[in-house]
Amino acid sequence: MTVGETTISRRCFCQLAASSVVFGPTLMRAQAPGRISAREVVTRIKRNVGVPWHTPTSDEFKIGDPDAPITGITTTFMSTLDLLQRSAAAGNNFVISHEPTFWSAADVVSALRDDPLYHHKVDFIEKNKMVVFRFHDHWHAHRPDGIFIGWNRAMGWERCVRYGPDPFSIAYEIPETSLRQLALDMQSKLNVHSMRIVGDPNLRITRVGHGGHYIAQCMATLPKVDLLIVGESREWEAAEYVRDAIAAGQKKALIQLPHEGGEEAGMRYCAEWLKTFVNEAPIQFIPSGDPFWIPA
Amino acid sequence: MNRIQKSVGVPWQSQRGDGYSDGILAGDPDTSVTGIVTTFTPTFDVLRRAVDSGKNTIICREAPFYSRGERAPVGWRNGPAPAKDLLEKDAIHLAKKEFIEHNKVVIIRLTENWDARTTDGQLQGLARSFDWGHYHTATRNGTDEYDPRNVYFDMPNTTVGRLAEELKDKLKIHAIRVVGDRAAAVSKVALTHGLLLVPDAEQILRQPGVDVMVAGDTVEWEGGPYFQDLVTARMVKGLILLGQEASEEAGCGELATWLKLIVNEVPIEWIPAGEPFWTLSEASR
Repeated sequence: MTVGETTISRRCFCQLAASSVVFGPTLMRAQAPGRISAREVVTRIKRNVGVPWHTPTSDEFKIGDPDAPITGITTTFMSTLDLLQRSAAAGNNFVISHEPTFWSAADVVSALRDDPLYHHKVDFIEKNKMVVFRFHDHWHAHRPDGIFIGWNRAMGWERCVRYGPDPFSIAYEIPETSLRQLALDMQSKLNVHSMRIVGDPNLRITRVGHGGHYIAQCMATLPKVDLLIVGESREWEAAEYVRDAIAAGQKKALIQLPHEGGEEAGMRYCAEWLKTFVNEAPIQFIPSGDPFWIPA
Repeated sequence: MNRIQKSVGVPWQSQRGDGYSDGILAGDPDTSVTGIVTTFTPTFDVLRRAVDSGKNTIICREAPFYSRGERAPVGWRNGPAPAKDLLEKDAIHLAKKEFIEHNKVVIIRLTENWDARTTDGQLQGLARSFDWGHYHTATRNGTDEYDPRNVYFDMPNTTVGRLAEELKDKLKIHAIRVVGDRAAAVSKVALTHGLLLVPDAEQILRQPGVDVMVAGDTVEWEGGPYFQDLVTARMVKGLILLGQEASEEAGCGELATWLKLIVNEVPIEWIPAGEPFWTLSEASR
């Protein structure tokens, strides 16, 4: 993807044509880059996300002036300092980040006043006139969940998926493979380096499910699948549960992805989605990347 | 249990606000103890090895059924316990519960009170397993050597990558996760165990010159990016996460050593649970 790309892909154009009542007027206001504010982009997100905007929400401007004209938009999983630097270098001063900027779920900065890192990050953002918006709750509330649309696509599993009634009750029936081969595929397709695995590498896998955040979801899902995928579990929950399942004689496995590996592809898709109703500024997905590596 | 309460050296804290407290989590308190196993977490495998070696009492830090029993999680650092009806019909829970009842196993949690001692047994155990005693900066001042705040080690010059490999080899583990450039030079390390939260890291990094922090785990999407940003800002060289089990298991060995001083009627053995994970870098070698 090139910087400054505003071309609407054929696929997106089809979507636009099919829903011209919603998107048509937006496109007719098309203007040159630099002529839209972050606030206007967010207003259009609210209009297009397909669910009512609810409060309280973490989907808010975290820093910067929402009313200044923007130079370009970066979508990403996590607005790390490195990501902000790369976004600025790419000419995009508006970052739409799925996760927080200041290292806690609610981006609480009051406790960070004495932290030199906090001031370093704020200085960089202010000097470069950047704006950060978090887009988390409502992207998940999009139906289907915007994050999973992107993730399923990255895995090539769009045709294997079955959505259930709850946010994480998403089941896949995939062509039979081994745990080890699937882990290798996942590592390259999701571009992660720090996957951790429980189970026999030769276990045959066809049924896969997500374990979500908590042990309750893992308990509800594991009986129906061969492989549980988690990205936000604590080590004493899902990993110990699956380890005991195996010790109890069940043929089960777990892949613990870095959180980023479970959600980054959804922010790649977010860039494509934004382009269907914002064309006044370039829009680019820039990966923040897996924070970790594992020594060989 | 009574003897631990008397000997721990600090007033016994009997209740946590939410979640399991220290004490008996499973089994009959009047069971006669045939032997004691200390471990990080009572996995099915640890329970079988304990019973096979004739020991019916487990003293551990974590609980047997995949949650810390909390109803109201604090941030993302813990998760809520599963609903009772979900847990009670869970086949894995049932199999383990039956094993515990059939073999008259008693599971005792000992975490907060062990950690409240003036000597941090978990830190001491981990430092000993690395053979880092002579690098510990606290040996040069007068405080209790393994006071929980004495986390700093002055190392012979190394790099982030070499240090991570050294820890991995010494603990015989695989799922070590590292933030930072492998080649970055390291001479001062802050060693912690268990879950590292951002406010704890801020506190420890107030002492200047720390190159690398070592911990068990962190709330990955808080501590992970915090250290990514510290590295980008050139304030710290890196973070090494050993895994919860790997970072706490050596301390459970220290606990076995300590218990032998106060209990001598039954055999006492440390059985490490082992890390739950394997990794692709291990599989590809």
